[in-house]
Amino acid sequence: MSKRLSNGSSFLSQYIRTKTKAFCSVQSLDNVIDPNQISKVFDPGYSSILHMSLKNTWGSFSALPNSSFWGPQNQHSLYIHRNGWIWAREFGSQAAMEPCTSDGLTVDGIASSKWTILEESESDWKSHAAAIAQSIQVIKRRLQWKKLLVRLDLLSAELNKPDLWNDPVHAGKISREHGSLIGKMKEVKAFEQELLEHIDMIKLAREENDTDLESESMKALLRMRRDSKDKELEALLAGEQDSCSCYIEVQAGAGGTESMDWAAMVMQMYQTWAQRHGYRVTVVDEMPGEIAGIKRATIKVEGEYAFGYAKAEVGVHRLVRISPFDSGKRRHTSFAAVAVIPILGDGSSRVQINESDLRIERFRSGGAGGQHANTTESAVRIVHIPTGVTATCQNERSQHQNKASAMAVLQSRLDQLEMARQAQMNSQHTQSLTEISWGNQIRTYVLHPYRMVKDLRTNYEVSDPDSVLEGDLDNFILSYLSASLDKGEDEPTTCDSVCSCGNMS
Amino acid sequence: MLKLRLPGLSRGVCANFRIPNPCCYSNSVSSSIDVKPKVPLYLRPPSFSASLSELSMWHKWAKNLASSVGSTFVNLDNGPDSTLLHRELNWLLQDLIELQHHSEILPRLESSNNENLDVRVALRAPLEEIYCVWRQRIEERRPFQYVVGCEHWRDLVLSVQEGVLIPRPETEMIIELVEDVALNNSPELAQGFWADLGTGSGAIAIAAARALRSHVNGDAGCRVIATDLSPVAVAVATSNVQRYGLQDVVEVRKGSWFEPLKDVKGELSGVLSNPPYIPSDDISGLQAEVGRHEPTLALDGGASGINDLLQLIDGVASMLKPGGFFAFETNGGKQCKFLVDYIQNEKPGRFRDINIVSDFAGIQRFVMGFRL
Repeated sequence: MSKRLSNGSSFLSQYIRTKTKAFCSVQSLDNVIDPNQISKVFDPGYSSILHMSLKNTWGSFSALPNSSFWGPQNQHSLYIHRNGWIWAREFGSQAAMEPCTSDGLTVDGIASSKWTILEESESDWKSHAAAIAQSIQVIKRRLQWKKLLVRLDLLSAELNKPDLWNDPVHAGKISREHGSLIGKMKEVKAFEQELLEHIDMIKLAREENDTDLESESMKALLRMRRDSKDKELEALLAGEQDSCSCYIEVQAGAGGTESMDWAAMVMQMYQTWAQRHGYRVTVVDEMPGEIAGIKRATIKVEGEYAFGYAKAEVGVHRLVRISPFDSGKRRHTSFAAVAVIPILGDGSSRVQINESDLRIERFRSGGAGGQHANTTESAVRIVHIPTGVTATCQNERSQHQNKASAMAVLQSRLDQLEMARQAQMNSQHTQSLTEISWGNQIRTYVLHPYRMVKDLRTNYEVSDPDSVLEGDLDNFILSYLSASLDKGEDEPTTCDSVCSCGNMS
Repeated sequence: MLKLRLPGLSRGVCANFRIPNPCCYSNSVSSSIDVKPKVPLYLRPPSFSASLSELSMWHKWAKNLASSVGSTFVNLDNGPDSTLLHRELNWLLQDLIELQHHSEILPRLESSNNENLDVRVALRAPLEEIYCVWRQRIEERRPFQYVVGCEHWRDLVLSVQEGVLIPRPETEMIIELVEDVALNNSPELAQGFWADLGTGSGAIAIAAARALRSHVNGDAGCRVIATDLSPVAVAVATSNVQRYGLQDVVEVRKGSWFEPLKDVKGELSGVLSNPPYIPSDDISGLQAEVGRHEPTLALDGGASGINDLLQLIDGVASMLKPGGFFAFETNGGKQCKFLVDYIQNEKPGRFRDINIVSDFAGIQRFVMGFRL
C-alpha cells in the first residue's frame, strides 16, 4: 500500500517537473493567466499592448470594490482555481525571480532609489511607492527573507525526491513546513506584485491621459501605503514582550540642575509621546531636583505595544544647549539615562517574591509620626534584600496603594533581572549584559549652536528638536526597530540597562 | 466662621461670592447633635465650569503659592514642603475634574499649548471656592484632606471633615495585624464581634470589616461595632460605612470606649483602637495642620499620653472572649514598653503573645496580643 502510494506521488512529482519545464516553453500562454510572470517575460512594448487591450475592459472592472484587476485576490483565485499545488511548486522555484514593472522597476529598486517620502496627503505616486517599498523591506527582514528562500529551495528539493513518501511522517512534516513558508511568502509577494501593478497602471493612465484611472490607482496606492505601515508595525513589534505595558525610567546624569532639568524634559517627552499613542500614563515615582527638574522618575505606560516601542529608547540621551541655569550663558552638555521595563502579563512566568526577603520602609521619615504628623506623604520603599533591587512609589494617595505600586515595580524589575539572567545562561545576550554606562549614548539633542536631533545608532536625524521634545518620537523609534532587525537579533538590548537601573534608586 | 481675609489676587474673585459662607465645605465644627456629613469634593456633581484659560491661571497661581513655601514649614514644624504641596495640588485637580477628562485637561495645564483656551471645563466646585481653599491650605495650613473632604487610606477613600481625625498612614498596619496575625493564627476569630474604639472616620472599622468578610466568604457572622464620643465622628463614620455598603456589618455607636458595649461584654473576638496618645504638653507644639485643625479630643492622651491606652488595656481584659485579639496604636517605643510592663505586672496570666510592632518608619508603634 505504501509502496503504491509512493509510486503514485512520485508520478505526481514527475508531473510537476514536466509541467515546470513545459511552463518555459509555453510562457506566453501562462503569462496571460499568471500576472506573476508578466514583467519578466514580456518586452515593454508588448506589455503596453496588453495593457491597452486590458484597458478596454477596465470599465467593467473598476466598478468592483477591489478594482485592481491585477490584485492578489484575482490572481490567486485564477491560479489556485487552475491548480493550487502547482502554483506552490512554481512559486518555490521562481522565487528568486524578481517581479518588476513594465519598465523594469523592482521593489528593491524603488527602495534603493531614495525617492523622497512625503506626507500621505501629498498625492505623489513615487512617495507612496517608496513608503510601501520601505515597509515591504522591513517585513521581509523580519521574516528573514533570504533564509526563507534558501529553506524553501531545500524543502522543494526534498519534495521533489521520488522516495519522499516512503516516510509519510517525514513527508508530511516537509510538506507542512513548505506550505507554511509558502503562505508567509505568498502574502508579501502578492503585496509586492500589487504595488508594481498600481505603478504600471498610473504610468499607463498618464500615457493615456485617463485621470479617472490615475486617481483610482493613486487611491489604491494610498490604501496600500496605510496597510503596509500597519503590516510593518506588526513585523517590528513581534518580540515576546512587545505587546506588554511598561515602566519608563529616567535618571539625570551628573551636572546638577541643568541635568535634572534635562531629565524632566526627557520624561515630559515620553509622557506626551505616550499620551498621543493613547496610552494611560501614571507617574509612579518622582524625585524632584532641588531647584528644577527631576533626579529620577518612573512612569507607568499602559497599553498595547507600549514596551515594544519604548524599548527603542533605552540608553543615554545627550543634550547640548545654552543652560538657562548658567548666568554666564555658557553651552552645557547634559545627560539623562532611560530604562524601560516590561510589565509581564499574568500568563508569563513571574519571579516568586518571598515576603520575608523584603524590607519595607517609609521613604521619608522623621519626627514622631502617627498622630503628631498630618501628611499626605505616604511613600514607601521596598528593598528586595537578596538582590538589593529597590522600588519606591510616592504618587499614590495612600501608603497601602504606594506599597502596592512599589511592589508592582519591584516585581517587574525582578522579572527583568531574571530574564537577563536566563538570557545570559543561554549565552545569547552576553554582549548586552553590560551595565548602562554614561558612554552608551543613543541620541543627541542639540539646541545650540545649531538645531538637530540625531540618533547615533541609526543616524536618523531631524532639524526640529522642539517637535521631538514634544513627543514626536515615532520615526526615531521605528527607524531603530527596523535597523535592529538587520542585526539578526530579535530582541534589542534592553535587559542590561534595565537591570542596572533597578539599582539606581 | 471664616472671614474673607483674602488680599491681593483673590480679592476680586472672592468679592462676588453669592453665598454667605463661600468656602462652604470648610466651616467649623458644628455643635448641633444632628450633624450632616459633608460630601467630599470628588463625589460632588460637576455642576460648575471654568474656561481652560481660567483654570490654567488658577493652576499657575496655586503652583506659585506652593512653590513660595519652599521648606519653611518643614523647618517650622515638620510640615509639608513645596514638592508635597505640588503633589497635593495635582490631587486637588484630580478631585475637581471628572475622571474621564483627566487625560485631556491635566496635561494641558502644564503645557504651553495655547489652542482652545476658551473650552469650558466642568468642575465639581466653583473656581472662586478653589482659590479660597488653596489659600487656606497654604496660609492657614488647613489639612489637605479637609480641603478635598476625603482621605485615601489603604484601598478606601474615606470622607473626613473638621471634627474628625484624619486617619494616618501608620494606622493602616493595624489591618495587616488583623489579617496576618489574628486571622492567620485563629481563623475562627473572623466570626463574632469586633470593636473599633474611637473610630473617628470609621477607617479601622470599615477596613477590618472588609478583611473579616473576605476571610469567611461573605457576611456570615462578621460584626464590627465602632464607637466614638464625638457626634461628628459618629455621623461621618456612619456615612462612610454606608458608602461602602457595610451597614449590615458595621454598627456605629456613640459613647466613650467600652461604655456602649456592655451587651457584648466578654464576647468580643477582637478590639482595635487608635486612641489619643499625645502627651498634653506636646499638643501646643504640634504641626500646624494637626494642632490648629484636628480635634484635640482625638489627640490628647493626658499628661503622659497614656491615660486612654491604660483604660483600653483594663477594658480588654474583661471585654475580650478567651482567645480574643487586641491591637492598639501608641505614641512610640516608650509607651509600648510601658504598656507591656503594665500588662505583665498588673494583668498576670490574662494575656498571651504580647508583642510590640514597628511601623514602616521603624518606630515601635503598636502593642498587640491575645487574651488567654
